[in-house]
Amino acid sequence: MHGKDVVLNNVSMRFGDFTAVQPTNLVIKAGEFFSILGPSGCGKTTILRMISGFLVPSGGDILIGEESMRGVGAHKRPTALIFQSLALFPLMSVWENVAFGLEMHDWPKAKRRDRAHELLEMTALTDQAEKRPTELSGGQRQRVAIARALAVEPAVLLLDEPLSALDLKLRQHMRAELKAIQRKTGVTFIYITHDQGEALTMSDRTAVMRNGVVEQVDTTDRIYDTPATAFVASFVGESNVIHGRVNAVADGFAALDSPHGSFRALNPGGLAVGDEAILFVRPEKMTFPARGERSENAIDVDFLRRDLEGPFVNLFFTRNGDVFTIHLTNTKTAGQDVSGEITIAFAPEDGLILAAGELADD
Amino acid sequence: MTSLVRSFGPSLTAAILLLTGFWIVGMIVAPQLIMVEKSFWYLDRGGDAGALTVRIDGLYNAVDLLGFDKLDAEALEPSAERDLKLDDIGRQVAATKAEIAELETREIKPRKVYSFTNYTLISAAHFAIFVKTILAALAVTLIAFIVCYPIAYTVAKLAPPGKAAIIMLGLIVPYAINELLRIFSWLMILNTNGVVNTLLAFMGLEPVAFLESGSGVFIAMVYAYVLFMVFPIYNTVETLDVAQIEAARDLGAPMWKIHWRVILPHAKPGIAVGAIMTFMLSVGSYSVPYIMTRGIAAPWFTQLIYNRFFESNNWNAGAAYAFTLLITCTLFIFLLMRIFRVGIKDIAR
Repeated sequence: MHGKDVVLNNVSMRFGDFTAVQPTNLVIKAGEFFSILGPSGCGKTTILRMISGFLVPSGGDILIGEESMRGVGAHKRPTALIFQSLALFPLMSVWENVAFGLEMHDWPKAKRRDRAHELLEMTALTDQAEKRPTELSGGQRQRVAIARALAVEPAVLLLDEPLSALDLKLRQHMRAELKAIQRKTGVTFIYITHDQGEALTMSDRTAVMRNGVVEQVDTTDRIYDTPATAFVASFVGESNVIHGRVNAVADGFAALDSPHGSFRALNPGGLAVGDEAILFVRPEKMTFPARGERSENAIDVDFLRRDLEGPFVNLFFTRNGDVFTIHLTNTKTAGQDVSGEITIAFAPEDGLILAAGELADD
Repeated sequence: MTSLVRSFGPSLTAAILLLTGFWIVGMIVAPQLIMVEKSFWYLDRGGDAGALTVRIDGLYNAVDLLGFDKLDAEALEPSAERDLKLDDIGRQVAATKAEIAELETREIKPRKVYSFTNYTLISAAHFAIFVKTILAALAVTLIAFIVCYPIAYTVAKLAPPGKAAIIMLGLIVPYAINELLRIFSWLMILNTNGVVNTLLAFMGLEPVAFLESGSGVFIAMVYAYVLFMVFPIYNTVETLDVAQIEAARDLGAPMWKIHWRVILPHAKPGIAVGAIMTFMLSVGSYSVPYIMTRGIAAPWFTQLIYNRFFESNNWNAGAAYAFTLLITCTLFIFLLMRIFRVGIKDIAR
């Protein structure tokens, strides 16, 4: 199996008056694990359905392996889709499900069976071949769906939130499995999800979408560390958020004037003095300055509560109704001595000042 | 049972059970049992009922004639010979009257004989009609399926909800019209001088004898029972996850293969229910063949049953005819369910 690259050239989609996808350009490289991340209704599923051929774009062109997909139906494209509901055929046995695509391509039965068993072996389902999908567990059904999609040797595998129905443990296990299958087969994976954890752990690159617009395409590290817009910063990971206005800029840094005071942080978007802006600081980048020392970017806050979240301890603070969070690594005693009025702070390199914009709903 | 009591309380439960019991026993079991019982006996009138009547009439004539003989004898001079003659006539009258009385009791209270005779009475001609009726009903079912499946599929999966509702309404509205009127309208359409033939004549084509060839019954029957096929299929197709159709498409299936491998197997229970209803209604239909054939074309088996009951006035033979039809159709349905691998449980879903 060989992956192919997928190129979206100015692709847009309108349903009546509603524009689901604004003209979009995307280049997904062959053999890449690519995620499209966004809240529900952002247009990510529409993009997936356009690539798979179930929707015809209102404008633009989709190329798979340099071939235009214009006028090519879903059943003729070198793509395979894994549905959110999996859409296994309940009246067929597991191996018949896996061999369905081969049957549709008129493979003789004996060859179909052999190929199905190969794939079931790869997905550790050999013992389940004769069972009905309804007799399997959620994770096994998931693997049947993957085997069925891979049977037709697609160059591009499209996955529409296939893990959303699984419980947390299984989901984490399946993430690793999907990644391993992708490595083994070399097929291009395009993974749709609203779960940033899934996108961050599995993908080589991720596109973050909002309201039909791709806001940022980048490696997962860069998406997390240097979000390009306020929406991306608020949607991916958690952040302490301070609204304000830029009152000075210098050397890639900007100063933000806010009700909580003035803060200096990175200015990657090149904002100018007077621009409305939002400051983002990741909770794990927040620190407690040493006692008596008046550090830069300090905020005087009141301690609210301490939540234990396994490997992290989350400390919550408040100031004038705004809530601030610090993540500490759980060292048994971490954060236990925090109480009352206290000062928190962050280094200017750990803060981002971005143009004001819509934030993701929590 | 306990859950019923818990949900509805004892008095309402009793009422529900009573009404259900009455329905099952009074409306279904008892009439069928009476029919079955009737089909297994006949009234022995010592042969032909007609011959018996003729014989009784003959005996009455004989009594009358003996009356004349008696008058003749009474006119004779009193003598020993006259007494002897009168005696003889008197004895003959008494004997004849006794025979009349016996025959009349046999006519009024015939002997009830239990046997399978009623089931062996069917003639070759009637048997041919019996077979034809079942085959024709099967054909009606098949045509109804061919007509209904695309409609049901379109309404369930392709049409937008608003349009689907309008199509469904369009299907239901004609059924608000009396069945007789609907069939009469087909009569007018398919008649020798009907709408279709007028159009054919207008186009310079030969008229088609729809009614005489028996195809009129077909068309009217498909029309009369088509809805019983549409709704069960619609209901099952509707429950199919569209993603399954898309998944099949995505895996390279052309449309007809998607129907064959995914949609039809899913809709099988609904098709079975629709087919059973259409088949049973067609086999048992009386008004449609009655109006559409009217002696022009070969009758339906139900018409023969009717004739047995109300024209030959032989309820026993009629019951045997009806029961034969019921048993044959039931076995036939089970056979078809076997062939198409549909279980009772699938249908009950």
